[in-house]
Parts: sequence; C-alpha cells; structure tokens
Amino acid sequence: MSTVRVLFVLLGAVAVGSALLVVTTRQIVHAALWLVVTLGALAGCFLLLTAEFVAWVQVLIYVGAVVVLLLFALMLTRAPTRPDPAARTPNAWFAAVVAAAVAGVLVTTLVAGFSGAVIDLDRAEIGGARVTGGAVFSTWVLPFEVLSVLLLAALVGAIVLSRRDVPNRPRDAEAARDTEPARDADDRERSSS
Amino acid sequence: MTSILLAQEFKSPTIEYAKVAPLLIVFGVAIVSVIAEAFLPRRFRYPTQVVLSLGSLAAALVVTVGLAGSKLLAAEGAIAIDGFTLFLWGTILVMSIISVLLLAERAVDGGVTAFAAQAAALPGTEAEREAQARRLEQTEVFPLFLFAVGGMLLFPAANDLLTMFVALEVLSLPLYLLCGLARRRRLLSQEAAMKYFLLGAFASAFFLYGMAMLYGFAGTISFSGIAAAIGAKTGVDGLLLAGTALVAVGLLFKIGAAPFHMWTPDVYQGAPTAITAFMAACTKIAAFGALLRLFYVALGAARWDWQPMIWVVAILTLGVGSVLALTQSDIKRMLAYSSIAHAGFLLIGFVGVRDHISANTSAILFYLAAYGFATIGAFAVVTLVRDASGEATHLSRWVGLGKRSPIVASVMALFLLAFAGIPLTSGFMGKWAVFSAAWQGGAWPLVVIGVVASVVAAFFYVRVIVLMFFSEPAAEGPTVAVPSVFTSVAVAVGVAATVVLGLMPEPLLQLAARAAQLVG
Repeated sequence: MSTVRVLFVLLGAVAVGSALLVVTTRQIVHAALWLVVTLGALAGCFLLLTAEFVAWVQVLIYVGAVVVLLLFALMLTRAPTRPDPAARTPNAWFAAVVAAAVAGVLVTTLVAGFSGAVIDLDRAEIGGARVTGGAVFSTWVLPFEVLSVLLLAALVGAIVLSRRDVPNRPRDAEAARDTEPARDADDRERSSS
Repeated sequence: MTSILLAQEFKSPTIEYAKVAPLLIVFGVAIVSVIAEAFLPRRFRYPTQVVLSLGSLAAALVVTVGLAGSKLLAAEGAIAIDGFTLFLWGTILVMSIISVLLLAERAVDGGVTAFAAQAAALPGTEAEREAQARRLEQTEVFPLFLFAVGGMLLFPAANDLLTMFVALEVLSLPLYLLCGLARRRRLLSQEAAMKYFLLGAFASAFFLYGMAMLYGFAGTISFSGIAAAIGAKTGVDGLLLAGTALVAVGLLFKIGAAPFHMWTPDVYQGAPTAITAFMAACTKIAAFGALLRLFYVALGAARWDWQPMIWVVAILTLGVGSVLALTQSDIKRMLAYSSIAHAGFLLIGFVGVRDHISANTSAILFYLAAYGFATIGAFAVVTLVRDASGEATHLSRWVGLGKRSPIVASVMALFLLAFAGIPLTSGFMGKWAVFSAAWQGGAWPLVVIGVVASVVAAFFYVRVIVLMFFSEPAAEGPTVAVPSVFTSVAVAVGVAATVVLGLMPEPLLQLAARAAQLVG
C-alpha cells in the first residue's frame, strides 16, 4: 500500500467518523465543530485526488465561512446552548435509512462511472485552479454567468423580505390607522366610478 | 479507463452573442432595473420599472422573431437554438408581456399594485398598517419577474443537464419570492410561498440526484452524449432507469403532474393572481419545453423504458385534475386543478409517440400557446371581481355575475369554454392536435381516457357558467372593478387569441410544425 493510499484511507475514516458524530452528538455546538473536522478531512481527500483547488475552496468557504456562519447563527438564536433533548426526533431511524440508501446509490454511481480511472501523477493537473478555471470559463461559461443571476435574485429577495422603510413608531402608526378607513372609502369610490 | 483532462492553454469560449441576444437582453435589463430600484426616488420607480420590463420583453421578442430559421448549438454547446427553442421563446415572451401588464395594474386596488406594501412588515402589525397608509409599493417585483422570465427562456433551450438545472433554479427562486408578496390575504400568500419553496427545493434535489445518476451512466451530461451512450448500451441499465425517473420527478413537479401536484392548488390560490397567471402559463410552457428536449433528444432511444412510467403519470394527472376540480369552491383552486388536468392532456401528447416525434412536438407547442393565452385571460378576469377584502374568489360570490356585469361574465365564459375544449375555441383545436398525434403514436387507450376526462372537466367549467348566468345575484355581491388599460389589453389579447386560434388555427399550426425539429 502506498503512502497516498494509507493517507486516503485514514482521512476517509476521520471524515466518516466525525460525520457520524455530527449527527449523533447532543451538543449542537459540538456538532458544528465536528463538522469542521469532517470538512477538513474531506479537503485532505480532495488534495490527495490532485483536486488542490477544490480542496482549498473547501477549506476557505466551508470551514472558513459556512461553519462560522452556523456558529454565529447559534450564538445569536440559541445561546447559551446546552444538550437539547428535543433535538432528538422520532424520525431519526427513517433519516438514517434514507441516508444509507443515498450513500449506497452514490457509491454505486461512482463505482460504475469511474472504477478503473487512474490519475497519471506525472502529467495530470486535474483539480488545479488553472484547469478548473479553464473549464468554468470556457465550456461552462454560460451556466456560470447565469448562476450569478441566481445569486443576485436571491440577494434582491432577501432585501425585499427583510428591509423596512417604515420604522416602528407607535404614535405615527396610530395616526396612520385613523386616516386609513377614510382613504379606503375614497379608493373604492374611485375604482367603482 | 476514463479519459483524463490534461493541462492545456486557455482558449476563450465562443459565444454567439447575436443568437443568445434574447436571453442577454432580459437578464441585462433585469440587472439594470435592480440598479434603478436602488438609485431612483420612490415616485419614479414604478413607471421606470414598467417601461424597462415591457421594453426589454418586446425587444427580446423582436430579436427572437429575427432569429427565425437558426439551427445551432450556441455558447459552447450549452444551449440549443432551433425552431423549437425559438417558438417557445416567442410564446414565453408574449405571455410575459401580458403578465407584466397584469403586474403593473393599479386601478383595481385603489391606485396601488397587487403586491405587498412592505414585505418585511409582518401581517397585522402597526408597521404594515403604516406602510399601507403611506401607499408604499414593492417595485422589486419587476426585476424578480424578469429574472424568472430569463430562467424560463434558458430552461427549454438548455442542451446539457447542468445548464438545465441552473435554468430550473433561476426560474424557480424568483417565483418562490413573488408568490409570497400579495397585498391582501398575506398569511395565505406567505404560506403558499413557503410550501412552494420547500417542495420546490425537494424536487430540485430529485432532479440533481437524477442528473448525477445519468452522469454515472453516460460519463457526460450533454444531451447528445447521453443519447450516444444509450445507443451504445446493451440490456437494462439500473443507473439509466433510476436517473431517468428522478430527473422526470423534478420536471413533472414543475409541470404540476400528479402525484407531484400537491403544491399547485395552495400556491395558485395564495399567490398574487397576476403571478398565478404568469406561473400557470409560462412555467408550464418552459417546463414542457425542457421535458420534451430532455426526453426526446437525450433519452429518446430509451423510450421503451420511460413510456410506461409517463403513461401512469398521465392517467393519474387526468384523474386527479378533473375529479378534484369538481369539489372545489374557490375559483383560483378550481383553475389550479384545471391546470393539472391540462398538464395531463399535454402528457398524453408527449407520451403517445412512436416514430413521428415532430408531429407530437408541434401538437404540444400549439396546445401550450392556446392554453397559455386562455389561462392568463381567465386569471386576469379573476382579479376584477372584488369585494372589500380584495378579490372575491369563492365561487358563491360569483353567483349571478352575468346579470351584474355581462361583459366580464361572458369573457370568463369564453375562457372556460376554451378550457373545456368546446369547438370554435382554441382549446378544441389544441385538444384535437394532441389527441390525434397520440392516436397515431399508438396511445389510443390514453386518448380514450383523455376524452373521458375532458367530459368530466367540461362539467365543472359549465357549472361556473351556469352559476354566473342562470342564478339570481346575491344582495351583497362583489363589485366588478374597472381596470386600467393594462388589464383590459391583457384580457383583450386573451380573448382575441382564443377566438382566432379556434377559428383559424392553420397559421400557428404550420408555424408549430415548422418549429418541431430539435437539434441534438
């Protein structure tokens, strides 16, 4: 067994083990921290598969941003956190079955699609920034650009749903309520005439 | 051994800008209108947005017409621009222009649009009352609408699974938002948006999963590559079957086919009626376009594998749509179930295919256009029948409408007759085209079921007409709002298209026949 293979197996074991801990631990903050370990181990796996760019993106975005966001959200909504018995749902076994089935199918797909694929380490540059960038900006340039539209739409939507132009001032609001029925009557007259 | 991509010099992609111009115009103007939203003073926003939306859609339509006769794979093979794409682009753009007119309508609700004064203000709070008193309007609906239209243009043109998925998301996300922005009955509207979002995300996940399996099967996600892999395979392949089924779930959800129709009545009822009209017409057109392209171009050779599944779905859809519509007491819910039934009729045309794919394709194209005009018109009429709390959508409120407002009731009756497929309306020609294509494709049992379903469906359409014309109006009935030129034009176009396509379907049928060639 080569060093790479041993490393890969070890990293894989760490990833799977910490992923199990993510879903079984009772402390929600611990779950978030175990997620860091899972994602870090996955990044290591990507690195061993010569996908160095994906590996660093994994570290920067998932470990660096997503988990931190998650912790912030926990801090702002749930703090102080303690073991939560309500976090256990009676559907857990069902979720486990679905997860196992999904994993089974994904493994089958990968084995069917890529068993026997060999990366020639002397010549290959598969997951480097150069090749990834080349693919994204040549073959996939149109879907890539359209995806930015999706992000913009999500941004506009988030602003629409959260931005308040009307401050909550009780006195003004009451005054507004007083004048409202009169306006409504006006409107109805105008629209029916 | 899978081939491995080697390091190479970067070659800049060739984008046929002139050919993808309709997409670029719609997306570009959508971004401009986001910027306008940020910098213009409040009172200028509404007129600017209306002009920008109408202008961009009209410009895109003109460019689309100018592209007639194109047949190529553009943008590095990501999208296919052929007669089929151009026909659907034209149809979607025309329907979107009519929908913008409905979105921009201000006269029926006292001088403000039908969208929430302030989406962030919780329903029933002081903030909401103040926002309403200050007559605020959420004009962000226009850019969001344009984003959705752009996604819908990309969806039926997509020539690989990745582009198709991106288009699916781009068209869905703005629609989720728009559904939750109704000015009246906001809780119902927000509930609709939430349900649509959760179920839609679920369906997208199914689609993505199916994509992964098809990739595992074919080693590529381009449609021509998948078609080649299916041609080369021997025997039954589990990955192909499972992938096909899961991808179909994602698309059938958007179409509103049973058993993936659960969201349709709630969302159609809760969403602002202008958005419901837009969804009922344009989402269905775009999603059927994508379904046809994926299943005819990429999976066409595996037809024997997926046809039985679509048969079952078509029969279920017809049953659910036409039987459950009988029990509805709300006009918007009834129209929702009617749209499910129409998805069933379209599926008959889609699945009843043997050798002449172009015959089925052109029948479906014609049906989509005919149905789209009628359904936007019908929902436009729904926005006009109002009482103090907004639209009076309960059927009991429509009793005797023909006596109070004969014109509105007659227009509604025309659309309902078109839905029922009565001769001399566009609906009859559409059904005729779809059924005859499916009959020649050997799906005669489906055609028989379809005819029975349309008889059942005719019953609930006629019931509404009887309610409107042959019952005495209640004392405290709803009023019929006098619309501005916007809704009037929208309804007039719907009426004109329904009558003209019923009397003289030949030009559009010929156009659809010419457009039925798919490149792959």
